[in-house]
Amino acid sequence: MKKVLALMLAAVMALGLCACGSGSDEKANEIKIGGIGPLTGQYANYGLSVQHGAEIAIKEINEAGGMNGMQIVFSMQDSQGDPEAAVSAYGKLIDWGMNASIGTVLSGEMASVVNASANDNMFMISASASADKCLEGSSNAFRICFYDSYQGIAAANYVAENLPGKKVAVFYQSDLDYSAGLYESFAAECKVKGIEIVDVQSFLSTDTDYTAQINALVDSQAEIIFLPIYAAEASVFLTQAKNGTASAVFAEGTYFFGADGLDGILTKVSNASEANNVLMLTPFAGESSSDAKVSGFVKKYKEAYGAAPDQFAADGYDAIYAIKAAVEKAGYTKAADIKGEGLSAALVQVSLEGVTGDMKWQANGNTDKSAMAIIYKDGNGTVFGE
Amino acid sequence: MSIFLRTFISGLNLGSIYALIALGYSMVYGIAKMLNFAHGDIIMIGAYTGIVAVMNLHLPPVVALIVSVIVCAGLGMLIETLAYKPLRQAPSLSVLITAIGVSYFLQNLALLIFGSEQKAYPQMSGLGSFTILDVKVDGITVMTLAVTAVIMIGLTLFINGTRMGKAMRAVSEDRGAAELMGISVNKTILITFAIGSGLAAIASAFYGMTYVYIKPTTGSMPGIKAFTAAVFGGIGSLPGAMLGGILLGLIEQFAKAYISTQWSDAIVFAVLILVLIVRPTGLLGKKSTEKV
Repeated sequence: MKKVLALMLAAVMALGLCACGSGSDEKANEIKIGGIGPLTGQYANYGLSVQHGAEIAIKEINEAGGMNGMQIVFSMQDSQGDPEAAVSAYGKLIDWGMNASIGTVLSGEMASVVNASANDNMFMISASASADKCLEGSSNAFRICFYDSYQGIAAANYVAENLPGKKVAVFYQSDLDYSAGLYESFAAECKVKGIEIVDVQSFLSTDTDYTAQINALVDSQAEIIFLPIYAAEASVFLTQAKNGTASAVFAEGTYFFGADGLDGILTKVSNASEANNVLMLTPFAGESSSDAKVSGFVKKYKEAYGAAPDQFAADGYDAIYAIKAAVEKAGYTKAADIKGEGLSAALVQVSLEGVTGDMKWQANGNTDKSAMAIIYKDGNGTVFGE
Repeated sequence: MSIFLRTFISGLNLGSIYALIALGYSMVYGIAKMLNFAHGDIIMIGAYTGIVAVMNLHLPPVVALIVSVIVCAGLGMLIETLAYKPLRQAPSLSVLITAIGVSYFLQNLALLIFGSEQKAYPQMSGLGSFTILDVKVDGITVMTLAVTAVIMIGLTLFINGTRMGKAMRAVSEDRGAAELMGISVNKTILITFAIGSGLAAIASAFYGMTYVYIKPTTGSMPGIKAFTAAVFGGIGSLPGAMLGGILLGLIEQFAKAYISTQWSDAIVFAVLILVLIVRPTGLLGKKSTEKV
């Protein structure tokens, strides 16, 4: 008896919520876009960057008349980087009446909401969830960023084309999926391209002392150290490698080559010169770019937030424009008509010239775009080879 | 040969940091008979104090170190008074859980105050480095070893030669009897915590100068390793803590250089288990005979 009562109460509540959702939709023709990410806590910098980038795009679109005449209302929910908090944040956004989503910022969060979004027929295009499998479970989930295994391949190709004949060694974090996955796809592609990997060293998240690994890497006489790790760990590595207390020193001109995880390395190292000769594979050149669209975005971002945008901000900016492209292609003019599958079918037909490069999407949600590398010297980044 | 020597130097470097932390751990355990799991986090607070003192208040390094020692000693006494003293009669498990709670409290406090971004510790040693047989040895490594040895000898003299030290030994041996002899147990344990936490502040300076980056979770892993070192050498024994710390650092670095970087922790703990099987009280631990 109690169970029946509870079910009935739940049904009444659910009905009530539905009523609220649709009621507010009809008032104005607004398209509600939601996002989820860490806005506080350890990974807050990533979530805030995506949010700020998205807000710049929304302001531009709203000022120019909106998406097919619909003004955008944006809500970014804080998950603190916790996949479970992301699920409840997702529920909150659905109750709010979200029409389309820029997904979540981190891969783990994406994996935890992707099934729910499939059930709700919700279109999601994540700015930065890069794990290969985090979009599996929904045919309406896409991403702006590279996916991890593609980054490893792109990195190997980059070495083959731009730094040919150099000896490569790898330093990766063995208990981090991102890092191990990138290393594996990099190593596999190196074999294909005939690049010699002379040494592989790894560390665990609990390690604080990398001198044993640094000594081995120096002994291997590698000219490029591939660092598929995050900026915090990379800064520890670079500091110990360059000013270490008990380690050998790398030869002058050794490159430290990493992927999008190195984003923000300059803000992490204790001294900007420690990041000298760091090469970062990225689709977004930021301040070093000569592209007018990119420099316009950088300028607006700096005016609004007082700092140069990183790759996550650029991804957030492009995610909003991807939704706009899909809405326009599908021809939606009323927010209430928007369906996830309609936007997905439209997105795979469009191509978008974003600040992170020219994108076309595959049905599995991925986009292949070209990568360039930024090289740092004394606190400044320039496009490598230019 | 050069690989061997280089690994030896980096092992000494790591080991001397472990030893310095283990001294504080071992001393508090030896006298208060409790595992202060918050010891590693006091090191973290000490490091942040050092950063604020040098970067924000622009104090000279030596003054910054003194400030850090005072802050940590005060914090240690505060923790003992608020968290551990009320549990003096409680089972040791309750005290242990409280210590873990204090550890998380300090980490989250640092997270709130300083944020999650890592901060660089000011590099203020100015000691430079020298070279033995083509291997670079940093002045910090030698200084850490020297400071650890001086503290170890100083503490041993203090405990064996002063009135306060005598009181500490008495409290360690039998709290009830010490109380009956007119020794204030609470005051003795309070001073033990002050000294132990002050040592943590000194350890934090050397940790910061060696490993540069400080974040709210900085204290936890070195804390666990130093605790292992203290058990390895015989918990409660000060020379044991130093020996255990240095050996632990050497084993870890040699395992990384010659066997596997992924297995180094497993090897360290396997050696610990072996030592404890052969000598249950650790390398230099006292054999205690239970009187019935």
